[in-house]
Amino acid sequence: MELQAIYIQFLALALFSIGLVVAISRRNIFFVLMGVELALNAVNLSFVGFSKTLPDTLSVTGQIVPLFTIAIAAAEACVGLAMVILIFRNRESMDANTYSNMKG
Amino acid sequence: MLALIYFIILGVIALGSAICVFLSRHPLYGALSLVLSMVSLAGIYGLLGSPFVGVVQIMVYAGAIMMLLTFVIMVLNGARDSKTPMFDKVSLFVIPAVLALSGLVGFALVQAPIAFDASALRGSVALTSQTLFDTSSKGQGYFVLFEVLGLLLLSAMVAAVLLAKKRLGSINEGEDK
Repeated sequence: MELQAIYIQFLALALFSIGLVVAISRRNIFFVLMGVELALNAVNLSFVGFSKTLPDTLSVTGQIVPLFTIAIAAAEACVGLAMVILIFRNRESMDANTYSNMKG
Repeated sequence: MLALIYFIILGVIALGSAICVFLSRHPLYGALSLVLSMVSLAGIYGLLGSPFVGVVQIMVYAGAIMMLLTFVIMVLNGARDSKTPMFDKVSLFVIPAVLALSGLVGFALVQAPIAFDASALRGSVALTSQTLFDTSSKGQGYFVLFEVLGLLLLSAMVAAVLLAKKRLGSINEGEDK
């Protein structure tokens, strides 16, 4: 029994599924943001796990891309939380269902 | 064998805290569970041989992003409407759909013949910095992405400041509230 590459992918898949469920089905806006972060984490794990299955110089790219993903997640969290603060001032609610003022 | 034991421990912690995020009522508990999940994922990165990604995960993700999220949750008092139900009727359709999706992807993963390559390079700080800042013409050009990322972070910061601040010249209106 050794650590197989497929186990990493299954862990990433499970984390991505949980993140997707949290992002779509929870009503509190903070849980929506946290679900997106969890899904991004799972994608990073999948990148690193796949990069370790490639031979020597090819395996570098999969370990560089998660750094960019983390930086983009930082930008996303920054803008997303600013929007949450802005909407919260108008609506006084954390419920994502009350934010839909465009009928459709 | 030892790597498998470490992976199982860290993976169970990561999965369990992710499920805690799904089930917790208060956003602050969810955020703390998410920090635990990220820290154990950083351990898995170190186990896989990418210590730099793991350290960046701890410093930027668990340290900075989640700290910002926790700060905003505390400022806005995110539990004030904890009387509303956690889920609505859409959740009944979302969960089977996501389960079906993950079943399909898992089936595709089982079919795929992937295995660790022993010659994969260890993502140390030296290798990462050499690849990232390789400005020679034979390099892969990640430094251009790095510069673009700096611009992205700057614009995100400016957008966040512009969004979250009160209108200019509305100091008196703010005091009325």
